[in-house]
Amino acid sequence: MKKSLLLTVVVATLMAGCSTTELADSQPLNPPFPELASSSADGSVDTSGLGLDELRGDAKLSNRSVYFDFNQYVVKDDFMDSIEAHAAYLKNHPGAKMVINGNADYRGSHEFNLSLGQKRSVAVKEALNTYGADDSQIETVSFGEEYANQECTGAKCGEDRRADIAYEVE
Amino acid sequence: MNKKITSLLFLSLLIFCSASYSLEVIEILGGRANQIAIAVSPFKEFSSQTDTSKVHRVIESDLDRSGLFNTLDTDGVSNPPSNDLNINFTRWSALDAQFIVVGKIDQTVDRIRVSWSLLDVYKEKTVLSMEYAGKPSQFRAIGHKIADQVYERLTGSKGVFHTKIAFVKKINDDKYVLNISDYDGFNVRTIMNSGQPIISPRWSPDGKQIAYVSFEKKKPVIYLQELATGQRTLLANFKGNNSAPAWSPDSKKLAIVLTYNANSQIYIIDSDGGDIKQVMRSRAINTEPAWAPNGKEIYFTSNKSGGPQIYKLNLEDDEVTRITYEGKYNLYPSLSYDGKLLLFLMQDGGKFKVAVQNLLSNQVLKLTNGPYDEAPIFSPNGHMILFSYKDYGKTSKIGTVSVNGLKITPLAVGNEQIQEPTWGPITN
Repeated sequence: MKKSLLLTVVVATLMAGCSTTELADSQPLNPPFPELASSSADGSVDTSGLGLDELRGDAKLSNRSVYFDFNQYVVKDDFMDSIEAHAAYLKNHPGAKMVINGNADYRGSHEFNLSLGQKRSVAVKEALNTYGADDSQIETVSFGEEYANQECTGAKCGEDRRADIAYEVE
Repeated sequence: MNKKITSLLFLSLLIFCSASYSLEVIEILGGRANQIAIAVSPFKEFSSQTDTSKVHRVIESDLDRSGLFNTLDTDGVSNPPSNDLNINFTRWSALDAQFIVVGKIDQTVDRIRVSWSLLDVYKEKTVLSMEYAGKPSQFRAIGHKIADQVYERLTGSKGVFHTKIAFVKKINDDKYVLNISDYDGFNVRTIMNSGQPIISPRWSPDGKQIAYVSFEKKKPVIYLQELATGQRTLLANFKGNNSAPAWSPDSKKLAIVLTYNANSQIYIIDSDGGDIKQVMRSRAINTEPAWAPNGKEIYFTSNKSGGPQIYKLNLEDDEVTRITYEGKYNLYPSLSYDGKLLLFLMQDGGKFKVAVQNLLSNQVLKLTNGPYDEAPIFSPNGHMILFSYKDYGKTSKIGTVSVNGLKITPLAVGNEQIQEPTWGPITN
């Protein structure tokens, strides 16, 4: 295979000037590509019995963010009180659905940070589980570093190393 | 440092030297002293159009970018030759040129014809003579073709100057654009626009599709997009995160990462979305899969020993082997086309640097100095690496670094955040 290629090149060399390689037309540009709008929330949801006032009024329940150290996903004791309150809320409102969004600071690769954010999200879920919260009410996802401050330095980056608790009805 | 470069290059270059032509083989054992000195003479033009005069500049910057050539300044050369006849070799020898490229451009209204020759200054003879023709607007493509020929002839390895790359442009935190362009950042076109992040684009080895991760469903999901038609297919939208697509060498399958309600684990899915199976399961994070060219192994990042390190999964016996040991934080693996070099991101003294590990000797070479380099990916011939870096510590940009570490070249593709680059395959 290489040999025949070589021959072609040698022959081409010998026949210098005799043959011209015609370049194919470059492929047609800009086929219709998708233009996406950001998706928006949908229709109405029955929120009776979800105790939304309680969710918004209670000091422990209004605390929604759990912060972590660099490259870590251990939930610190400082956050256990509000995690316990959220677990109690889920138990008392079986119709409530929680989403935990994990995040990471911008340092490192996007994919590893996505996994790290997920690990943080799962760590919060498991802490909720220890207080009796049921998996069926919780979804864990990660945004990785995608919404992180891309220019942070020092302690400022710590704000991005967190998991946020959100409820679907809100 | 130099010794490292030498031995690393020695191992990697030995392979293509042995596959070279019957004529003399140029040995490149690394280091600036071993670069090939080449002068690309301005091509003589027979037209009034001026932009085609840049053909020789295209060739020059291609060869320069590879790090294997020392391109000599030809600005002072008066009355450059337009063909390989009656060359004054003494004059070129005085410039310390080992090789010269000469040529001319004939132009009609809608067509240019570029005739060119590569000459050996020491032996005073013609090495290659060819002709390329096309539309005037294709002058860069013609320059890349010529550079590919020169590259293959003098290094014994295929040139990648005709290949394409893809990257993500992030505009004002609320617009994300997936672009493709020539490997040197020219001829940019957009293939996808979104209000939500796009990460991890990966070109299929057959060149037809790009897989990427989009957050458009308020969480990461994986799409495949055909380049010829722009048509998108949702490949993976399972519960939790769907990310890190990696094509198998035959383009028929992808390794992907799913979480469901737990941690990132690696799965293999058919590219038509058919069969799916889990291939890694542990308490640790397992992500960033990358296929070995033999299709039998998957390299990946795991934090099972604490910080992230790179491991290899043998798909035949499920055996997992740790690959990186230098430093506490190594991730983002990918392989050279011959499977001999592992490319990855290493945290070293607090800085994120692009590094390669020779998988035969396990010797590690750092190619960049950081501080925030990311997303390194090999050119299809393994001689260059495309990566992203933070310009003045702030705006993310992309550039290439030669695998011998000698040449870093930024790509001018916009003032916005440019990130998540990937490199397309050699075509035709």
